[in-house]
Amino acid sequence: MKILVTAKRVEDPESKIKVDAAGKGIVKDGLKYKINPFDEIAVEEALRLAAKHPGDVVAVSIGGKEVHEQLRHALAMGATKAVWVNHEGPLDQMGVARLLQKIVEKEKPDLVILGKQSIDDDQNQVGQYLAEWLGWGQATFASKADSLDSENEKNKVPGVIVGDGAKTVDVIREVDGGLNRLRLTLPAVVTTDLRLNQPRYASLPGIMKAKSKPLEEQTAQGLGVDVAPKITVTKLSMPPARKAGIKVPDVATLVTKLKTEAKVV
Amino acid sequence: MGLTDGFPADFASTDADDLATYGRDWTKVYAPAPSLLVRPRTTGEVSEFLKRCHATRTAVVPSGGRTGLAGGAVAKDREVVLSLERMRAMSSVDTLALTLRVEAGAVTEAVHQHAAKSGLTWPVDFASKGSSQVGGNIATNAGGVRVIRYGLTRQWVLGLEVVLATGEVLELNGALEKNNTGVDLRQLFIGSEGILGVITQATLKLCRLPEKTDVFLFSVPTLQHVLELFEAARQGPFTVSAFEFFTDRCLARLMRHRKVKAPFDAGSPFYVLLEVEAASAPLEPWLQALFETARVTDGTQAQNAEQARALWAYREGISESLSATGLPHKNDIALPVSGLKTFCAELETLLAGRYPGWELCLFGHIGDGNLHVNIMKPDALDQAAFLQATHAVDADLMALVRAHRGSVSAEHGIGLLKREWLGYTRSPAEIALMRQLKVIFDPHGILNPGKVL
Repeated sequence: MKILVTAKRVEDPESKIKVDAAGKGIVKDGLKYKINPFDEIAVEEALRLAAKHPGDVVAVSIGGKEVHEQLRHALAMGATKAVWVNHEGPLDQMGVARLLQKIVEKEKPDLVILGKQSIDDDQNQVGQYLAEWLGWGQATFASKADSLDSENEKNKVPGVIVGDGAKTVDVIREVDGGLNRLRLTLPAVVTTDLRLNQPRYASLPGIMKAKSKPLEEQTAQGLGVDVAPKITVTKLSMPPARKAGIKVPDVATLVTKLKTEAKVV
Repeated sequence: MGLTDGFPADFASTDADDLATYGRDWTKVYAPAPSLLVRPRTTGEVSEFLKRCHATRTAVVPSGGRTGLAGGAVAKDREVVLSLERMRAMSSVDTLALTLRVEAGAVTEAVHQHAAKSGLTWPVDFASKGSSQVGGNIATNAGGVRVIRYGLTRQWVLGLEVVLATGEVLELNGALEKNNTGVDLRQLFIGSEGILGVITQATLKLCRLPEKTDVFLFSVPTLQHVLELFEAARQGPFTVSAFEFFTDRCLARLMRHRKVKAPFDAGSPFYVLLEVEAASAPLEPWLQALFETARVTDGTQAQNAEQARALWAYREGISESLSATGLPHKNDIALPVSGLKTFCAELETLLAGRYPGWELCLFGHIGDGNLHVNIMKPDALDQAAFLQATHAVDADLMALVRAHRGSVSAEHGIGLLKREWLGYTRSPAEIALMRQLKVIFDPHGILNPGKVL
């Protein structure tokens, strides 16, 4: 079966993030980048499924030439082909979903797996829009029934289960106080949560092979998509700085302060 | 006048927890028993206190982050522990001279973070950087993971402020890069393990942070292949900034302690972490050759900064994981790099013969000739029997090191733990000179008595 995954470029959370002078974006200087961790999980899941149900794994990323880094990462992990949507400038979630929709219509995958959200904007919308506009079933927040320390995880058993003949896919979702298991008719859209799998390190032979794997370029214009944002960011601000803690000389003072200042006892 | 009269109220402590904590370092084998803990805030306080100790013949153990592994900061005989931890101020970075003046108690990682704001670093770097302090790094001439690229702590210290046992304060070399005016006394204090004086401030030399590094982790079948991989790395199209190795047993304990996954699907007897700077040509042909010659069986390259940190954690977490999951007997030996291959072959035979069935955890900086040989205490053996058994084997190990003109302590120092082996690396004439120097600087022998000599 053919699977399409996303590989968004996001800021490394260990980088020092600062809001820019205009208060609408972040300072990009000196930042490090990586593949969105939820997308990395999507790539891993696709590779595990492809090992059981052979077929191409196509990774898609949208942005300037720098997103080649994330596409090469996905290829090094084992994806077979990359699609780069060459686009500079602002995009909202609907723009991203429209572009992905066009790529899906061209590539015709049996399954789309993407991160439930990206760790930069934390929107959690693209998978949902995409499924709606494709008219496909969707299962969001896919998790694994076993823990990430389980034998199944060690043996790289996929958490998403494709049925016989690749007609359906079963997805486990964590819900309050239990698990919810959905069966979707393929083709379908699945979005990944953190507890689906632990992504592999790209092997050196894989990294070397990645350099010669196909990387296809597309543009919004070429795909016939109007990506003018309907949503714009009007203000971005840092969380308030935490107040410094205090030291108390003894337990009695602590109890008093918990009562009178923190008002928690 | 009493030892602590006239000092601030919190200058000294005799609290039992404080004494137990500050009386030991990461060397677990000695029971701490200091009589007093003092924590001065200024060089003046250090000087005044040492003057009184000198007058009353009171033994003093200078103390930093206490991450040493040779017992150099252990107070087991009623000494006073003089901790520099409250003296941790840092000047602003001089971006023209590339220097930084710090107090001795500044934590290594804090120095790195401070310098990084100016795009600079103090390239003294090792796993315990989050706790170790600059004064201790200098007093032990600390090594670490980037010695192969940048050399030892000694290369990165321009000036020192030192308080002698008598309380006299010396300022040595200031911030001068060049100063050919007689004997360089500063160098005597670097690596002296607190027996000649107490370092209170230092002017550190900085360098620029590397632009871009690539981090690799390899699965390697044998120790001989590890050395062949090192030869290949030396000829690669890049500058090697770290070449570290560890065994599967180190990894198993690390995975248990830190609860991390294995780096590769298949296990391997040896692993090598390679960090390189500034590749001048594509790395693929070089990597290809490694696989073709079977020097490596698997490998990965960090795809981003986060993965680089994760790969480094496999190596840097080992020392902590061994101590957290058992009692290691540690040997920290160094050999001339050119003789490593023969030495390692003989070492493997020796260890297999003398410790049949024991768990040996080997790791280290092999690129600069440094091996950490850790022997884990078997559960069935009590601590005393274990120490006795390892001591017997140490004699053979050290004899092998001597025969290969190596060092009995590469970067951990001599402290209490390696004192009897000092003569295996240094000649009687050298040791006699060290003793004479000790008398000149510390006539009453109050500074770190029982250590080194």
